Amino acid sequence: MEKGGVEHEITELRLGLPGRDVTEKMMKKRGFTEMIMTSSGSNSDESGVVSGGDVEKINESPAAKSEVVGWPPVCSYRRKNSCKEAWTTKVGLGYVKVSMDGVPYLRKIDLGSSQGYDDLAFALDKLFGVRGIGVALKDGDNCEYVTIYEDKDGDWMLAGDVPWGMFIESCKRLRIMKRSDATGFGLQPRGVDE
Amino acid sequence: MNYFPDEVIEHIFDFISSHKDRNSISLVSKSWHKIERCSRKRVFIGNCYAINPERLIERFPSLRSLTLKGKPHFADFNLVPHEWGGFVHPWIVALAKARVGLQELRLKRMVVSDESLELLSRSFASFKSLVLVSCEGFTTDGLASVAANCRHLRELDLQENEIEDHRGQWLNCFPESSTALTSLNFSCLKGETNLAALERLVARSPNLESLKVNRAVPLDALTRLMSCAPQLVDLGVGSYENEPDQESFMKLMAAIKKCTELRSLSGFSEVAPLCLSAFYPICQNLTSLNLSYAAEIQGNHLIRFIQFCKRLQRLWILDSIGDKGLEVVASTCKELQELRVFPSDLHDEEDNDTAVTEIGLVAISAGCPKLHSILYFCKQMTNAALITVAKNCPNFIRFRLCILEPNKPDHTTSQSLDEGFGAIVQACKGLRRLSVSGLLTDKVFLYIGMYAEQLEMLSIAFAGDTDKGMLYVLNGCKKMRKLEIRDSPFGNAALLADVDKYRTMRSLWMSSCEVTLGGCKRLARNAPWLNVEIINENENNDLMERNEEDEREKVDRLYLYRTVVGARKDAPPCVTIL
Repeated sequence: MEKGGVEHEITELRLGLPGRDVTEKMMKKRGFTEMIMTSSGSNSDESGVVSGGDVEKINESPAAKSEVVGWPPVCSYRRKNSCKEAWTTKVGLGYVKVSMDGVPYLRKIDLGSSQGYDDLAFALDKLFGVRGIGVALKDGDNCEYVTIYEDKDGDWMLAGDVPWGMFIESCKRLRIMKRSDATGFGLQPRGVDE
Repeated sequence: MNYFPDEVIEHIFDFISSHKDRNSISLVSKSWHKIERCSRKRVFIGNCYAINPERLIERFPSLRSLTLKGKPHFADFNLVPHEWGGFVHPWIVALAKARVGLQELRLKRMVVSDESLELLSRSFASFKSLVLVSCEGFTTDGLASVAANCRHLRELDLQENEIEDHRGQWLNCFPESSTALTSLNFSCLKGETNLAALERLVARSPNLESLKVNRAVPLDALTRLMSCAPQLVDLGVGSYENEPDQESFMKLMAAIKKCTELRSLSGFSEVAPLCLSAFYPICQNLTSLNLSYAAEIQGNHLIRFIQFCKRLQRLWILDSIGDKGLEVVASTCKELQELRVFPSDLHDEEDNDTAVTEIGLVAISAGCPKLHSILYFCKQMTNAALITVAKNCPNFIRFRLCILEPNKPDHTTSQSLDEGFGAIVQACKGLRRLSVSGLLTDKVFLYIGMYAEQLEMLSIAFAGDTDKGMLYVLNGCKKMRKLEIRDSPFGNAALLADVDKYRTMRSLWMSSCEVTLGGCKRLARNAPWLNVEIINENENNDLMERNEEDEREKVDRLYLYRTVVGARKDAPPCVTIL
């Protein structure tokens, strides 16, 4: 088990006010991202428990944040019984999260129970109690809101373009944005994907 | 006092109930020690491995009420293997054998088996109260024995336990003659309940003050339960995803209106807005509200509900309430003493504004002068906010702040949060419990060591730079009892600097730090009155037999605690006691 230089630096006494050298400190510290890498199997000898070990592979990967054992410190009973935790298992069943700009809560919607874009439009209206979201799906330019979705590849697309069947298969989540915000968002242009 | 007969002194001691005070009394003189121990009814054991049941019984023969805690706190976060220990069985066996007149048993983070519960139910004729918190290892069969055999049972309180639900008829097992129940909490059970049995039980329990049902109790059943128990003070409801129809709603509201004594409300693992609004009539009486399992409640419904709760002293909610919601709490709940804000999005997948920030925390601190305990999960924090909070609320006893992303600095200045937490410990002279988070250097620990004179429990994660950090705490915090550290660069030098310090502490936990096997071995040698446990799920072979080189190997998880009974015999293979 070779430990060597990097680790020594971590315990090195550092003088000076905090705030300086922050980025340097963050890289030398046994950082969060190192934790993710050691716990997500980069060292096959280690179990899922976060431990010291491998500091070679420092790879920024925000998606792996949730893999650190026991973090955030929410007790396991609460994790198992909190509804949002249960969401992650429901996604496969057609439930997707829906967020709406300016609204401080998320809802979920079962795409599988909608028959098509009309149905979805109606359901979204009902979900947020705001008229006109659904209109955006069909009516394109006349509405204050646009409905976009994140597809399997992680791209954000305008909802309503592809056939319904294709849509429910690739939609991971929905977001209702104000049209004015959407222009700078970086939506994939129509027709770029199958 | 020497001229009083023992019975008089004993009578005087009866007025002293605090454990600390009674412990002090027992140190005054031999005769006081004897009188105290023979008359002591309630004993609290913070670490079940610090002492053994035989010695406990020997010292306190009149024991009536026992509280035991097992696994270390970080077991809540899956950092302790399931088989680690904390078995209650030997305690029950010993108490039964000695014919102790046990009436109350409270357990936290212990392993309880059906066999233990069965033995308990048969061994103590006056048994009145069983409270199990975060325990595991038993099923509803064990509950059935308690229900059936404890003739004088008044309290059965199951909080956040892992119970295997056999969907049996445990509620039926309460005999018809059982009418003494004052408290029944089975909210953590997952399965269906025998509703008829529950209703009959509640109907024949006129002294029932606290009832917390599980998710499987539907709305109409809840309505009937409330109707026959209008004396309820504390109610935990089930899961009500669907809007009730008009008739059900009216009946529910009528039942609720009758519960004029209701002060505490919880449950709501899911609740449709209309359902929630049925409780409006009693909101003004509520002193305690727990909506922290209701991930689906929309912010505006939550806010509307809380606006009626002017007498709230304790509030547990999800961060979906938002900063705006907390501002409403701050302006409404002037009696607020304890606030817990839990994260609704554990995977940090959302980039939107659903979480709370420093704004909400500052608002609460400004609006609620009686606030003394807070647990706050948030996405970001600033030093300025913490300094303001410290100024607004110097009365904090418990301050637990968890910034969801480890090592996150002050988001406006990119500096560490040392100054912010420093302000908290400096202002809050009575602070007993502290959890820190965000980007922190050794400096924050310098502040903690310097100012946190009453601090008893400190939780550290992803913080500090060198051993100095930990040393500041160990040297400075004279009243430290429980120190738990994870993923921080503290090593042998800090661990070994003052071994006698651990005599004054209940326990120390260090995981993913820099301590090595060699350091731990040295500690164990110098402190035979400590159990130094190395927990390592990877290694099944005996750590002691490995060669010299491995002394430099870092220890995955270290848990040490003072004990008067030496190394425990029930440790599993993944635990090595040095």
